[in-house]
Amino acid sequence: MTWISKTITVLGGILLAHACYSAQEHSSLQSFRAAAASLTSSSTLTATTLPVDIAIETIVATFIIVLGLVSGTRPLRPIQWRVWAGKLEREGAEGFVDNEGEVNKDYVGNPFKNLEMRPGFVDVRRQRREFAEWVKGGGEK
Amino acid sequence: MPSEQELQISPLVPESIQHNSKTLYNLQSLTASLFGISAGILGLESYSGFLFYIVFSLLTVFLLYVVRVAPASSSVALSKGGASKPLDTSSYFRTPFEFWAGGLMNGLAGFILTWTLFYGLVRA
Repeated sequence: MTWISKTITVLGGILLAHACYSAQEHSSLQSFRAAAASLTSSSTLTATTLPVDIAIETIVATFIIVLGLVSGTRPLRPIQWRVWAGKLEREGAEGFVDNEGEVNKDYVGNPFKNLEMRPGFVDVRRQRREFAEWVKGGGEK
Repeated sequence: MPSEQELQISPLVPESIQHNSKTLYNLQSLTASLFGISAGILGLESYSGFLFYIVFSLLTVFLLYVVRVAPASSSVALSKGGASKPLDTSSYFRTPFEFWAGGLMNGLAGFILTWTLFYGLVRA
């Protein structure tokens, strides 16, 4: 997904750079015309407003870049504990990936892990049985 | 703002709040400088420049709402069996104000910086 947003952003950047260059050329042309008019003092000064196509290009380029940047934002996380913990329980690590598809660095897993790993919750008999089977099987995995 | 009792009944996740506001802040500081470039190219002056900034910032936040907030909010509401309220941001941000207008002041300095820079560059 990330290459789509990057492509859109770069496309908008090219459009914006072109609009900027056009506006700069337009203003230098206007100042050149004004200087020529003052030399000959024949024609009146024309209005120096920006041509409408440059204005439209600027606004469209801005909009395209914003679109690219917004689509490149990281997914938000639910702030209510019950929604967040429910999502964690249902989706696990897959619910907390960023745009590149990698799990977030601050992904903590089950928030109640330390409660469920309490010594009182450990099934000692089952672990002993598993260990006995492992020993009988020759100690292999 | 919910009261203390409501917070005890339905607690919030501080890491998620931080993550969401950081995402919003990053987006808004980036786009504010971008709007400064556009306003400088357009040659806007005084109030029209600030109006441009406010309009485009609100547009950005609305796009973020459409892309990131609305799909999840509506799916949560549908799973509860009710229709979602329009422009509801309560599942990702504490207050609607924080989402819609909280970032206007964040990017204003960057906006003015690039606005004046590009105004001067284009009209040299």
